[in-house]
Amino acid sequence: MPSSDPRSEQESRREWTSRSIGSSWQHQIFYLLIRCGGRRAAYLLLSLVVFYYVLLPSVRVKCHHYLARRFPQAGRWAQFKNSYRLTLGLGKVLVDRALVGILGPGQIKGKLHDKQALLDLLAENKGLILINAHVGCWQVAMSALGGMETPINLLMQREEGDIDRHYFEHAGIECPYRIIDPRGFLGGALEMVEVLKRGEVLSVMGDRMLGNDRNGVDVDFLGGKVRMPFSAYKLASATGAPILVLFSYKTGADTYELRPWRTIHVPGGLGRGKDVFVPYVDEFAKALETFCREHPFQFFNFFDMWQNGAIESDPEPDPIT
Amino acid sequence: MSVKEKLKRVLIEDLNLEDVEPDEITDDMALFGDGLGLDSLDAVELVVIVQKHFGVEIKDMEEGRPALQTISTLAKFIEERLA
Repeated sequence: MPSSDPRSEQESRREWTSRSIGSSWQHQIFYLLIRCGGRRAAYLLLSLVVFYYVLLPSVRVKCHHYLARRFPQAGRWAQFKNSYRLTLGLGKVLVDRALVGILGPGQIKGKLHDKQALLDLLAENKGLILINAHVGCWQVAMSALGGMETPINLLMQREEGDIDRHYFEHAGIECPYRIIDPRGFLGGALEMVEVLKRGEVLSVMGDRMLGNDRNGVDVDFLGGKVRMPFSAYKLASATGAPILVLFSYKTGADTYELRPWRTIHVPGGLGRGKDVFVPYVDEFAKALETFCREHPFQFFNFFDMWQNGAIESDPEPDPIT
Repeated sequence: MSVKEKLKRVLIEDLNLEDVEPDEITDDMALFGDGLGLDSLDAVELVVIVQKHFGVEIKDMEEGRPALQTISTLAKFIEERLA
């Protein structure tokens, strides 16, 4: 599977951006449909569009990187069905996100499990690092945290030419969270330290590298080695902030749930080396693996995370068309 | 020991800068990128080091950006806060 691909994992990752999810006018059709016909109409068109897309081998190859790891025994027809379900899952998240922005927050209900655990960690007054992944719908996850008084800061890199809009952009309102751009001065490191010192929440994605691969360590994930960032754990070590692994998942047409998966306390003074952070990144990877077992079609990964590893599998799914 | 000298010593010790002696670090050497070769994650460690060894807090970007350029700028920042 991945080992035969000469491109680096970084290049493969860059290739997958929201720009690759349809063109601008296609997005506009969905926005119009949402305004006129609501969720049902958008989902109906979505199911047809996704079916068409999944007929394209290039789309199934993108799905295959993850699905072959999650369902190694799947035959060709099952692979096709799984690709459809995964792509449809992503499509529904994008529609839901637009729904909230266009028709209002009442369109989606978010439920936060074990809020007390989160409040207890905040009460330590060292700030809180929320580690998410590309699962479920993080925007909904964040809105479920909206009732908290503590400011929320997101480490987020916006791609140039990104046509995929966030719910607050649909609604024409100011972003309710402070965005820290990792392309800023020193990768936003000082800003991140600053918000944690103020006791605020810092939300980062833990499953994907942003930029420099030097800031990653290799951990086991779904039967192979993947590179995941360790900067959040280093921040935790330096500032004393606890880490909460928090994943969201869709549970119904208009419902999402948000659940703390694991609390990670990184001891202080771990220093400069990257290897000392492997056990903590590994904890995150294990939590994500559990998530993938429970919600296999809500981990939206469409590039080869396992570039350096290999499992026994077809290099590419055979064309069905 | 001057602030600059102490700074060079604690940087080498706490950041485990191998094969670097305090004398080799010039006052105007850039801390990040070319120069001392620190990266963005080292900035996190640097903020902690300054607080731990000098009792000086780099509170925000406004303070941090000009201070975290060279040994000289960082030492000047520390001296001003200690004055």
